Amino acid sequence: MQGQVRIENLTKTYHTRQRKGLFKSEEKLVEALKGVSLEIKPGEIFGLLGPNGAGKTTLIKCLTTLLLPTSGEAWINGYHLTRDDNQIRATVGCMLMGERGLYWKLTGRENMTFFGALYHLNPAARRRRADEIIERLHLGDIADRAVETYSSGQKMKLAFAKALINDAPLLILDEPTNTLDLPSARELRAVVHELNQEGKTVIYTTHIMAEAETMCDRVAIIDRGEVLALGNVPELKASLNREAVIRIEGVISAKASQAVQALPGVSQAATTPVNGHVQLTVMAQDHQALLPRLIETLTAYNAVMQKITPEEVTLEDVFIARTGRTLADDTRVK
Amino acid sequence: MATITHPTFGQKLSAMLAETRLRLLNISRYPGQLVLEIIIPVVFASMPMLLGRATAGADAGANFAANTGTANYVAFLLIGSNVFTLVSNAFWHIAYWLRFEQETGTLEAIYLTPTSSLNLAAGVAVYSAIRGLTAAILSYIIGCLVFQVNPLQGDVLLALAFIFVGLIPLYGVAFLFGALVLKVKESNALVSLMQWVVSFLMGIFFPITVLPPFIRFVALLFPPTWITNGVRSSLLGVGFFFGQWYFDMAVLWAFLLFAPLFSFWVFNRVERNVKANEGVGEF
Repeated sequence: MQGQVRIENLTKTYHTRQRKGLFKSEEKLVEALKGVSLEIKPGEIFGLLGPNGAGKTTLIKCLTTLLLPTSGEAWINGYHLTRDDNQIRATVGCMLMGERGLYWKLTGRENMTFFGALYHLNPAARRRRADEIIERLHLGDIADRAVETYSSGQKMKLAFAKALINDAPLLILDEPTNTLDLPSARELRAVVHELNQEGKTVIYTTHIMAEAETMCDRVAIIDRGEVLALGNVPELKASLNREAVIRIEGVISAKASQAVQALPGVSQAATTPVNGHVQLTVMAQDHQALLPRLIETLTAYNAVMQKITPEEVTLEDVFIARTGRTLADDTRVK
Repeated sequence: MATITHPTFGQKLSAMLAETRLRLLNISRYPGQLVLEIIIPVVFASMPMLLGRATAGADAGANFAANTGTANYVAFLLIGSNVFTLVSNAFWHIAYWLRFEQETGTLEAIYLTPTSSLNLAAGVAVYSAIRGLTAAILSYIIGCLVFQVNPLQGDVLLALAFIFVGLIPLYGVAFLFGALVLKVKESNALVSLMQWVVSFLMGIFFPITVLPPFIRFVALLFPPTWITNGVRSSLLGVGFFFGQWYFDMAVLWAFLLFAPLFSFWVFNRVERNVKANEGVGEF
């Protein structure tokens, strides 16, 4: 086995109930993962990028043994997913559910030493490790206060600290910068980079493409339980190298967007809400030739255009090219 | 620092006690609740006690002795209400532990660690037993002082032995109940139902000999019935079910050997089933 994580054809289906009234409900089968295969090399920061409901968290829950996969196999840190589940949990540091995974009546330090005990560290080792992490993440001022008095960002930081308590060779971070303000998010990303430099492998899930671009050595783009694209960021962008991207911001109706999609030469058109407006992303082979027709079509549909910019290809564009949707779309099964 | 993939028995024990310590730390931040736990069993027992005095007057003790084997109805009722506190705590603490952690999100957090759910449940059971026993003993002493009866009559050590041996199968049954809560995700209604059924069957305020034969048989299938009668017989001499204390104790030992193993087996199956579907954190 070469990779630190190797996943072969992993599937996960489960039953869910949909309420149909006061006493009625209907059972529904959800295919959360559809044959996911990938390998993560030691020492890399591997990004899982996809919209909400894409299957990122389900994949992480399977890899951390919280969920049993329906079929397929995986090896994590050399341990088999279903046969060696205790060893996997011992050798993975995981930040999942953010601030919800903390005991709010306890202090930050009490939380860390408690989880240290559950990773079987002896009392002196867990206190020492907690002190090290508190110092590294600059949590000294709040470490001895009850978590219920923390701000949302401070709770997220503590949840990240908790993931480091067992000093695991593999860190799995699920949307770690959610609810963090910009400076705190930057600081956390810097620590993740430092930890990676020290030899830790990191799986980093996000739905923010800029974060995936700056953080990750390689990225898997996931949607509706499937890996749509896998590679390093330049490779993924290069897969669209014949295409140009035009972004238009303003008031643009769904009908206008559909009309743009139908224009000859347009390979994809998708809208995202941005600052109370709509941003229309259009991909085309020849944007010079397309632009006049694009403006003409949008005008015909009474669109108000505030900004038109041809831009560089981003990971989000890769996602749009593969799915026809943006990362802001929620694809959770309702 | 190396990760520990094969913990020793001592390290597992330390993880279990960390769970106990966490619970004790947490409850220490709610002192009012602890005080209430000592007062409520006394209030609970005083209601039938005062009703008895109102209806039977000075003959209350004699009438009570004719049916129960002891005239000390004050201690009889206090023992019933305090053993009920222990039983109620066991069900609430185990079932509510799972449900509360599910709702707050910490259940997934602890399931991410290599400490087994059995170990964690044992930690919660130790905490619950410490809290329940402390409250029950203090409440019994206060109740005896308030109603002016001697709390240290009879064989106190034997009474304690019945409680300690009985606690293990009691938590075994509670753990079985926890498995049900994990699956159906409904703790309040289930625990309320269960605690009142058990409280009726164990005879908080009456000897189970007054129950109809079939219900008496069902009552004898629950460890709390044997704990209550064992304590009452040790302290008040109401009579063991099988005549001698060691026969009744042997029944509790049989429960002790069977109930935890059976519960753990059921819990493991439910846990696996839940993990194969929506996961332990879904609520």
